[in-house]
Amino acid sequence: MAITFLKRTQNPDGGWPYVRGCSWTEPTAYAVMALLSAGETGPAESGLRWLRAAQRSDGGFPPQMAIPHSAWVTALAALVPAERLGLRAHARAIEWLREASGSESTFSYRARQWLLGNPVGGLEDAGWAWAPDAAAWVGPTALAILALEKERLRKPSAALRGRVESGRRFLLARMCRGGGWNYGNVTVLGHDLPPYAETTGMALAALRGDSSPRVVQTIAVASRFLDECRSADALNWLRLGLSAHGRLPQGYCPPASIKRRTIMESALDALVSQPNAGGLLDV
Amino acid sequence: MSNPISACGAGDSPAGCGAGCHPARRLFTGSRPQLTRREFVAAAGVTALAGCGKAPPIEPSLVSIVRAPEYGQGIYQTVRGLLASHRLDVRGRNVLLKPNLVEFEPHGAINTNPLLVHAVYEGFRELGATVRIAEGPGHRRNTLDLADGAGYFGIVPHFEDVFVDLNLDDVKRVEPPHRVSGLREWYLPRTALGADLLVSMPKMKTHHWVGITLSAKNLFGVVPGGVYGWPKNPLHWAGIEESIADLHSLFPRQFAIVDGIVGMEGNGPIQGQAKPVGVLVAGRDPVAVDATCCRIMRVDPLKVRYLRLAAGIESPLVEGNIRQTGETIASVATPFQLIPEFRHLRLEDQT
Repeated sequence: MAITFLKRTQNPDGGWPYVRGCSWTEPTAYAVMALLSAGETGPAESGLRWLRAAQRSDGGFPPQMAIPHSAWVTALAALVPAERLGLRAHARAIEWLREASGSESTFSYRARQWLLGNPVGGLEDAGWAWAPDAAAWVGPTALAILALEKERLRKPSAALRGRVESGRRFLLARMCRGGGWNYGNVTVLGHDLPPYAETTGMALAALRGDSSPRVVQTIAVASRFLDECRSADALNWLRLGLSAHGRLPQGYCPPASIKRRTIMESALDALVSQPNAGGLLDV
Repeated sequence: MSNPISACGAGDSPAGCGAGCHPARRLFTGSRPQLTRREFVAAAGVTALAGCGKAPPIEPSLVSIVRAPEYGQGIYQTVRGLLASHRLDVRGRNVLLKPNLVEFEPHGAINTNPLLVHAVYEGFRELGATVRIAEGPGHRRNTLDLADGAGYFGIVPHFEDVFVDLNLDDVKRVEPPHRVSGLREWYLPRTALGADLLVSMPKMKTHHWVGITLSAKNLFGVVPGGVYGWPKNPLHWAGIEESIADLHSLFPRQFAIVDGIVGMEGNGPIQGQAKPVGVLVAGRDPVAVDATCCRIMRVDPLKVRYLRLAAGIESPLVEGNIRQTGETIASVATPFQLIPEFRHLRLEDQT
């Protein structure tokens, strides 16, 4: 049903909107991956053409065509199978991702903080930002790790491995005290922050293979969210995160009452319903 | 317990959030308001643009304070009266209501109450406007789920048909008329830019990064997460207060209705305590409305840096430049608890 919905909502330019309107990179990347994994190559190819046209000269992807900067959605384009996106386009996206980081981990920022006498410990572990000139956050960091790890498994590389490990350390440092993740902070003004379902699922997926006690604790948090949560977006990410650790209950299906309100939610639902999450969790 | 919001990527970590948003960078160390050189230049720009260098006479901004003791059916009549008192000519116009929608939380003091939003929605419809509701939450990506969790679906009939998620709306590039923040250009939702009247409907709250959050700060919610992320962290790095001033200038056709029926004090905008005040505060000039709200909260608006940046030199923040109607400030004022970082904002006793 989700695939039919995706075919029906494709824009004439080949991309997809979030709900309606012009095409954006995020829903387009998810829709393309969902269609490819369902064998719907025709509409997927139109989407791939849109993606290729959206790629910027620096190798990154903008949130939508009209935005003149590359951003976090580059990770989503890089999750599209390399041979379908195009080997060169894919390699350039991976390179952009490898170079990108939150502003707080750049040398110039850390040097300035050091000169000002501010603490700089922990800033060397670089996550990824949503947009240029901004700090790193859990969501874009998790997606970038998924993309780079997928590429590393395809083409082993010490540079990629180092970047992935740095990103994973960033995530572990941002884990809430009782497990799970808020959007990027552990505390604000001394107050502990609680975990959010969607970011917990995303970060768990990015930490596949980590069986440390804190990650095991977070799996319990995610399992509780899975029982209680009524958001399609959050359930998609929880399913992916728990699947990455082999802890999604066998035969799990989201409650029938769950409403998928954006194209992105439908596409991601179709993807995570596939074996290996339609390639998001390739090994 | 509500879910906290965090203002910058690093929270309490040393990364902070760049220039402009850390409390230590606040403007005032004492109680005497001062303009920095940059603020002076920005404010002078506002004045020059408004009057080609000549100081235009100040027309007092009309701000009304009406009592509204609870979120009940009486709110519909109260809002009708409020809108009538401002003689808004919106027949045939396109009106966009922008509540403050932050967390999955139907009963607390975090979100603008959905019953109030529906009352304003109906009020503008009765005046002949086409009305939509829109918001782009700062942290939660699943906006409609959030609206559902916050009780909007249960209160506003056919909510999904009249609601626009500003985080995911089509965008247009615009430049602020007088740049205050580090951002030369903005990509803002067409739905918000195209509205004949943008009605900012914040909750009356304290805020752990900028002191207070009212109708001007509420404009952060028009900035699309699809471009700027969740949260809209580039704005923090460009300066939260400066960004508020830029946004204020980018939306010249505004009206503000502040939900002060139950506000929030202490460690707002999420982790604070509910603060019943029992008022709605409204007017065409959001800065003047916010200044009045500040005085109700016993906060000195002249010490709130972003309000000064948004106001310009001939300040609608000055009480004498505001024509207050309805209840008096003194009759409804109640001190909001401020976190230590913002106690310097406290309005000093005039006597």
